[in-house]
Amino acid sequence: MTTAPATRDQRRLSPAEASFAATWADRGPGNDGATALRARGFAAFEASGLPAGRREAWKYTSLRALARREFRPAGPVRAPRPEDLAALDIEGLDGLRAVFINGRLVPELSDLDGDDGLQIVPLSDALAERGHRALEIAGSIACVDTHPLAALNQAFVGDGVFIGVSPGAAPSRPLHLMFLSLDGGSPVAAHPRVVVDAAPESALVLIEHYTGRGEIRNLTNAVTELRLGHGAVVEHYRLQEEPATGFHIGGLHGWLERDARLISHNLHFGAALARLDVGVSLAEPGAEVVLNGLYLVDGKRHVDNHTRVDHLAPETRSDELYRGVVDDRGRAVFNGKAVVHPDAQKIEAHQSNRNLLLSREAEVDTKPELEIYADDVKCSHGATVGQLDRNALFYLLSRGISRKVARDMLTFAFAETVAVRIPLAAVRRRIEARIAGALPDARMIGHGVEDEA
Amino acid sequence: MLKVTNLHARVDDKAILTGLDLEIGAGEVHAIMGPNGSGKSTLANVLAGRDGYEVTEGTVEYDGQDLLALAPEERARRGVFLAFQYPVEIPGVNNAYLLKAALNAIRAHRGEPELDAFEFLALVKERMELMHMDESFLNRGVNEGFSGGEKKRNEILQMAILEPRLAVLDETDSGLDIDALKVVAAGVNSLRDPERAIVMVTHYQRLLDYIEPDYVHVLSGGRIVKTGDRTLALELEDRGYDWLREAASV
Repeated sequence: MTTAPATRDQRRLSPAEASFAATWADRGPGNDGATALRARGFAAFEASGLPAGRREAWKYTSLRALARREFRPAGPVRAPRPEDLAALDIEGLDGLRAVFINGRLVPELSDLDGDDGLQIVPLSDALAERGHRALEIAGSIACVDTHPLAALNQAFVGDGVFIGVSPGAAPSRPLHLMFLSLDGGSPVAAHPRVVVDAAPESALVLIEHYTGRGEIRNLTNAVTELRLGHGAVVEHYRLQEEPATGFHIGGLHGWLERDARLISHNLHFGAALARLDVGVSLAEPGAEVVLNGLYLVDGKRHVDNHTRVDHLAPETRSDELYRGVVDDRGRAVFNGKAVVHPDAQKIEAHQSNRNLLLSREAEVDTKPELEIYADDVKCSHGATVGQLDRNALFYLLSRGISRKVARDMLTFAFAETVAVRIPLAAVRRRIEARIAGALPDARMIGHGVEDEA
Repeated sequence: MLKVTNLHARVDDKAILTGLDLEIGAGEVHAIMGPNGSGKSTLANVLAGRDGYEVTEGTVEYDGQDLLALAPEERARRGVFLAFQYPVEIPGVNNAYLLKAALNAIRAHRGEPELDAFEFLALVKERMELMHMDESFLNRGVNEGFSGGEKKRNEILQMAILEPRLAVLDETDSGLDIDALKVVAAGVNSLRDPERAIVMVTHYQRLLDYIEPDYVHVLSGGRIVKTGDRTLALELEDRGYDWLREAASV
């Protein structure tokens, strides 16, 4: 773009930024609805660049390692091998599936024949169709001016999928989106976008599952936009299990109308650097959002969760519970913000973030924020950073249990608080297996045992 | 089985035990009584190996080994059991899992094979009946939402399953109503065995009506100031602790 502010010209582009600038225009035929979105996305990204520490929202998360790398756009890579695809399966999950390799939909591996009332369309097709709902929603909920990486995603918009649920429809099976990151020789940047249009009184269970194979250095920069019509209910899972060498950045942006309900489960287990921005607008009375989050951070990994709920209307509710376990030299960042706008009376906003530090070198920066411009509200928030409870540890040791197993049991117990809030049994079991680590008979430990019979 | 010699211990730089001697043989039941702050719970915790209890002098010999040199989990595997005064709640880990992990750790130490799920369940159910506990408790979180009485019963259930050589019961009677006390006492009595020693730490003699000790020791000022049979406990009930405290300070 030639309209970049002068200050930008004076700043040298990082290798990553240069590679994005060189490749974004190559995308798409240039004549459809996507073109305007891309242009606007790139303009916003060019104006901001990759965010640096001087931006408050990026104070604790440095993208320097990412900036040093050159990325090439997603494109055909090798065909997946059976073992690649095995990593995608969630045992016991019976759902429709869409497989994306480095962000790109692979129709022959996907099963998109939904029930009546469920429409699943490659996003590029949807954006090419005049008057399609995707054009109305894409870019309208994820703001490119406040989210530089969402802007970058929009500059490449095309990969991904549009999901439409008809009024009153409730597909019987969950929809499982499988994002597989594979080695493409040099690092690949994938920018998939998921656009959900849940019509009034509809219901949807959606799983976004990010994983990958090998020691790849790819970037996944995935944005999801959800519009929930009145009375719609969406249960959304974001299960991030990328290889520990990769970058994972994402946004989950929702707009909820009257009495709509969004339940988000944001589960981070992978990536060298992961950052997710959740932004939910409760636009009309009765709208409600539940935000559950769990992150396990070990090695030298870094996980950053930023969430923001805007209570725009009276009688809206938000309930957030995020927990994290940080070990080794891992670092976790949490920033949760609830904004209660003027006239949004009789709302409830609850927020809790608790962190368990398992090593001296682990680090957590947590910041709950409340901005309240109404007076008749019920709000609570709290954040803690702590270590294993010494009394509980001694209790287990005094029963002959080894220190390692005792530590794992207490860590499990800490994380299980979030896992029990996961209604989908197949996902919950996968999470429990992860948080149980090396514990024997992990399937027997928690509360999930009873309802599996 | 257990020989405590001239034991001195401190907590947070405060000397609590000041030269305690105690000898316990297999098959014996000992009651250790004393006023609040006399060091009863400190003794129990030192024996189990809790952090923060610093032994500054003296020795504890258990089956001929230096007990104080062992980590708490090692002591447990060699048969030392502490029934907690305040059992810890661990929501998220169910009781069955804790019991199985503990039992298998101890069995492994003894060179015995792990119990399979079937054998384990049969054992646990049998012992739960003894403690008048409902099966549903197995799937509940460890001590989660238990009443005071349920927690204490759970401690004795663990003892019944782990079958320790030396059981130390720390204020097991506190917070129990009379019915719960009878159940707990019956459980403990059923575990009396010629190979097992039991040490009850208690403030009140009420427990001793139901579990008859062979020996009663009075702890005061961090030392044992008097030892007798169970008539000593009755005397304490009548006269309180003050006469002994005075005697000790002379």
